[in-house]
Amino acid sequence: MDKLERLLNLTAALLDTDRVLSAEELRQRIGGYPKTQAAFRRTFERDKDDLRSLGIPLRVLPVAGSDPPIDGYRILRSEYIGQEIHFEPDELAALHLAARLIPVDGTQTGLLKLGGTTESLEIQEIGQVPFNDNLAALIAAAGERSAVAFLYRDARREVEPWQLSFVRGHWYLAAWDRQQQDQRLFRVDRINSKIEKLDAATEPRTTPTNPAQLRSWELGDGEPVDVKVVVDSEQAVYFGYLIGQKISAEGSATEITLKVRNFEAFRSFILTFLEHAEVLEPQSVRDDMVQWLKELA
Amino acid sequence: MNKQMTAAERLSRLLAVIPYVVERRGAPIDEIATRFDYPREQLVADLTGVLFFVGVHPFTPDSLIEVDITDDEVQISYADWFSRPLRLTSSEAARLLTAASSVLSEGYGLTKATNPLVRALTKLRLTLGDAAEEAVAVQLGSTPQNTLAPLQSALVHKQQLEIDYYTFGRHRLSKRTVEPLNLFSDNGNWYLQAWCTLAEGERIFRVDRIHSLRVTNNAVTRQASSTARAALTTKGNEPKVVLRLQRDCEWVAQHYQTESTSRADDGALIVELVVLSEGWLEHLLLQLGGRAEVLHIDEPLSASLVSQAAKRVLTRYC
Repeated sequence: MDKLERLLNLTAALLDTDRVLSAEELRQRIGGYPKTQAAFRRTFERDKDDLRSLGIPLRVLPVAGSDPPIDGYRILRSEYIGQEIHFEPDELAALHLAARLIPVDGTQTGLLKLGGTTESLEIQEIGQVPFNDNLAALIAAAGERSAVAFLYRDARREVEPWQLSFVRGHWYLAAWDRQQQDQRLFRVDRINSKIEKLDAATEPRTTPTNPAQLRSWELGDGEPVDVKVVVDSEQAVYFGYLIGQKISAEGSATEITLKVRNFEAFRSFILTFLEHAEVLEPQSVRDDMVQWLKELA
Repeated sequence: MNKQMTAAERLSRLLAVIPYVVERRGAPIDEIATRFDYPREQLVADLTGVLFFVGVHPFTPDSLIEVDITDDEVQISYADWFSRPLRLTSSEAARLLTAASSVLSEGYGLTKATNPLVRALTKLRLTLGDAAEEAVAVQLGSTPQNTLAPLQSALVHKQQLEIDYYTFGRHRLSKRTVEPLNLFSDNGNWYLQAWCTLAEGERIFRVDRIHSLRVTNNAVTRQASSTARAALTTKGNEPKVVLRLQRDCEWVAQHYQTESTSRADDGALIVELVVLSEGWLEHLLLQLGGRAEVLHIDEPLSASLVSQAAKRVLTRYC
């Protein structure tokens, strides 16, 4: 039997039933499963994973009267259909167009469910935005206002997500941090676990910090330190653009003071300009830079 | 789609095809194939060879789905289990929301598509929750104010531009006359693909390094020699560098184009990167410091490039 046929029969059986069915019952009703118990179990597990990967809401409940309890399965039709959304043809076309202009990983399965595409668009993408499952889970949590937990640089954080923003090639999460009792900004690519969904959010949502307004060296927990740097005239305008200040291209080298909370990010930024920028003061930050360079020289 | 589709991929398509056909009381086979990106041969095989045998216990004729294809018109009946589309998951909705928000955020001259797109976005909220509309903010690239709009306009009206451009690797400003050909964003930056009269060739310019620009009345006569994506993709003859990265700088592999990645026995990440420019590599290695080790570097570059760069910067301090 074709695997597709077995998956369709399994889905039909789970939708058709008005009580939960055990794995053994499903095996007898559907057919097409391997004969030995171990092989059946493996195949059945993979089939369940396949259904879940498409978003089919498979319920796992104990079989009534079983003792010790046995897992039983069913799909509720109302959950299978979910919140039905009717998109007008022009709305669907616009979504298709958007997904072609900015290809985001995994938009195709969603578009198929909404009714496929009307025409093949000969259109060039205008950009790419990286995407992954953690982002999807965080966006969903922000949308339905629920709290989540994850490992951030190996430390567990419990937060209420407010906004995900893609800025300068990175995704940032602005969220209420339950431990810090304050808003915090996280780099999504530094989250090194899956997203665990917790209870409903309790803190009222306020304006999320926009990472576009913040520079990497301003992202930190400590008190800011004023650091004075000098930049050669030819680099000054681009430097000014990167720090969000207007600097005139005229004249000689320009002295600028930055408020620094994250010294590693600051060092990386200044080194962008190689020998065309120099840390002046405080002496400790200047010494750190010299030390860093001496180790490489 | 050339490669064999998996059973899950076929299942996801069939579960979308069935409600489509049932709702319309029949649909032409070619229309279904196009609409659901379902190769015609596979589609026919799945409808007649698989779906036709699907049903519930005891699989008597009255408990099976009926499929009929006559004159290339598909009819499906007794498929009540699958008569409505499968729900959109929050993950799928989040991805669509991101694509739509990205396009809207840049106001990329999509006047025609914009209004239905806004309506579509509002509907996605139904799946994702009321706070979803503010849940995603995308900046395809940061650009100085008043740069992107005149660039878009010059592209549409095919006008040449005069730009002051900051060349990153050489840290130099230059005035250039260019014929704009394409504008696109990648990894958080906007790029202009243009014919440059100074270089007498097609070049890619980072929009945030265009200090000032002036739109001229001279017409653009050339056409782009490749798609924007192909233009940004490296040509293959650039020098490569192989780095051994400590765990806390593995982001390098995600942020830059890698030729290959592998794990050393001790778990360190080994990446082969395309050297975009000498200045770029110098900055990357100075920034990573002792956390990255150069295992190999193509001629004419040499591994001593890091220490030379460090010494050059140090001369400012001593």
